Amino acid sequence: MSETSFFRKPWVRWASIVVIVVVLIVVPLVLPEFANQTIARIGVFAVAVLGLNVVMGYTGQVSLGQIFFVGLGAYITAYGVTHDWNIVLVFVLAFVGPAVVGLLIALAAARLGGLAIAMVTIALPIVGVPLAKRLGDVTGGSQGLSTQFSDVPDWMPVTMYDDQWQLYLVILVTAIVFLLTRNLVHGRYGRAFAIVKGNEAVASSMGISPYWYKVIAFTLASLIGGVAGFLYMVVIQYTSPETMSFAHSISLLAAMVIGGAASIVGSLLGGAYYVLVPQLTNIVDPNSTALLQGAILLIVLFVLPGGLVSLPRVLTRLAHRRKGGGTGRTPQTTPIAEPDPAAVTEGTPTERQGHA
Amino acid sequence: MNMRRTTRKAAGIVAMASVLALALAGCSRGGGGDDGDGTAAASSPGITDTTLTLGITTPLSGATAGPGTCTVAGIKAYFGAKNADGGVKFGDGKTRKVEIKALDDGYDPQKAKANYDQLKDSVFAMTAGLGTPTNRAWREAAISDKVPQVLVMTGDPIFSNKDDSPWQLGFVPTYMNEGEAFGKLLADSGEDHKVVILSQNDDYGEGYVSGFKDGIKGASNIQVVKELTYEATDTSVDAQITELASTKADVIFNAMSITPLAIAALQKAQQLNWKPSWFLPSNTARPGAILGPGKASAFPGVYSVAFSQSASAPGFADSDEGAKFLSELKEYADYKDTPAFPHCIWSYQVGAVLDQVFQKMTSPTRDDFMKELRSISDYVAPFMLEGTSVNTTEDGQPAVSTVVVQKYNGKGYDTVEKFG
Repeated sequence: MSETSFFRKPWVRWASIVVIVVVLIVVPLVLPEFANQTIARIGVFAVAVLGLNVVMGYTGQVSLGQIFFVGLGAYITAYGVTHDWNIVLVFVLAFVGPAVVGLLIALAAARLGGLAIAMVTIALPIVGVPLAKRLGDVTGGSQGLSTQFSDVPDWMPVTMYDDQWQLYLVILVTAIVFLLTRNLVHGRYGRAFAIVKGNEAVASSMGISPYWYKVIAFTLASLIGGVAGFLYMVVIQYTSPETMSFAHSISLLAAMVIGGAASIVGSLLGGAYYVLVPQLTNIVDPNSTALLQGAILLIVLFVLPGGLVSLPRVLTRLAHRRKGGGTGRTPQTTPIAEPDPAAVTEGTPTERQGHA
Repeated sequence: MNMRRTTRKAAGIVAMASVLALALAGCSRGGGGDDGDGTAAASSPGITDTTLTLGITTPLSGATAGPGTCTVAGIKAYFGAKNADGGVKFGDGKTRKVEIKALDDGYDPQKAKANYDQLKDSVFAMTAGLGTPTNRAWREAAISDKVPQVLVMTGDPIFSNKDDSPWQLGFVPTYMNEGEAFGKLLADSGEDHKVVILSQNDDYGEGYVSGFKDGIKGASNIQVVKELTYEATDTSVDAQITELASTKADVIFNAMSITPLAIAALQKAQQLNWKPSWFLPSNTARPGAILGPGKASAFPGVYSVAFSQSASAPGFADSDEGAKFLSELKEYADYKDTPAFPHCIWSYQVGAVLDQVFQKMTSPTRDDFMKELRSISDYVAPFMLEGTSVNTTEDGQPAVSTVVVQKYNGKGYDTVEKFG
């Protein structure tokens, strides 16, 4: 497999990082406005999916409340901005607030096992929507809050369009969140999460408290959801109770599974799925978007049960099978649904979405 | 040596990346695709000498897909028929066909904004979309892009305030308009009435109640004896109805948007043998879906408001106009059933109002469009009830701000002049 070793070489890694950074800097300047806005939206929901991945993909706790934290972050941002708070303070509050709420909920919810957590988290968007309507003084009621705080600031030395500036903001924040999360799940915490996901009894016997690691994962997911909420306001500039609608929580979950559970790249793909598929189905036939989206969901899950992130792996395996016994390892006509454990690259045997 | 080769390769990649970056930056967008401010004399996007394109973002999937689909079908039917006749004759002497680009937003504000971003450079104006949050989501963007967002289906008054929304105009009456119409009717009855109010605890309910109170302001014959609210998430209002029944009021103003609750409220009052005259908002007053199951005939009168005929009313399909409308829906909008939602007719009326505006437009620009849009007075669009009309000249009011009060007759509605 000379290809793999090529990509493992340190200079290739550094060079590809440089290329990615350069592309990310240049792309907003070149693309048309609508493409920029679409990429920015993908960033927003990629972060939301990433948060969901921390608690669900990596730690195996079903959460149906992620959109609540996104909405909470968006509302905090909208409230802070309309009251002329410092934007850095607003950003910090937008993720600290959801994190604190997430922590409080997790302290109670993590005592429950398995699907009981899902039941508790279901309540969040269901409570959140009427709450946002009811607290009209703070949230603007069902008419929502509009803010335009993410236009190009006056101190910028270069002139650029608003959509370019917004995309830079999203890219910057998204990149930081993704890097930090990647480091987290590849380190000590990530291993602990994986063990908690795999078997709580084993985790306890190793001195890892399943309860606390569930709390940590849930709090982190809420925090990242809050960041997504801030970005939501940067890009969409409007929030209303509909933002937290329960259906969106399910869509986020579907996006996570389709992108690839317990995978960093999968979260990006999930965000892209969340944003692009409705746009795509709209082009095909605006009257049957729900039907087409359902069909796409089923097709992806049948063909790529490990999510879009497993596509290269599946292609490689198909190529090997095509070659026949040429390579030493004959994949004995394994159905695609069972990915070869040897091919798992992320380091844990929990690459595939196991639960839910 | 190996080391040196590696370094050289790395340098090569960095160099390649830089070249790529420079090349890409070189072809950076220079004004193309953006709304050029300097080219005011040229025509706006979405209009040529032979066509004009309108954009719609509305829920075509999800819980509000029924009315949402209607908001597209009506206007498609109207302009479909016009195009088949050759097109719309504009004020500048050119005849243009009107095309509709409709996208689904599933009642999600985020998707509505995405749809707007997608459409804004290829359509002349956005119109007819349903929903308050989904229209609010891109209101400010439309203002800064100077894209008309007109005759949208929301009762939110902000769209009709010219100072706040220079590029917007709502189409349907606001909640206040509806509540006020009933309040006035009651105040003009000349008889003494004890009124109780049960409203939804959000801006929907508040809008109705404040309109109603405006309507009865200064009327000494009307006494509001009790006001209660319920939450939109409540599954029962039995407790509230029981409490209100104890007041023995003879009129209930019930600002409710939830279908099952409206039915349950009607039934509970009958169980308690409390039979006041009943007011329901236009969207929870459908004869077949709510008043029939709620056995509304038991009450001395169930009132609602309307500004247009109902396509499901008896006799509609037999009238010439109605039959033409239904066949156009079938032919040009692929809408086969008799619409159960009023939005199909409203959207058809939006088409008719836009037609009026197009006939007055003398230059193919969005500015001129907005100017002419705000100059229509007393235009009676198809299927409007007697006593209502389209009037866009009054600031702070949507295109249709007049409603008439109607009384349930066991099958459909009759317009009433006075209460009782």
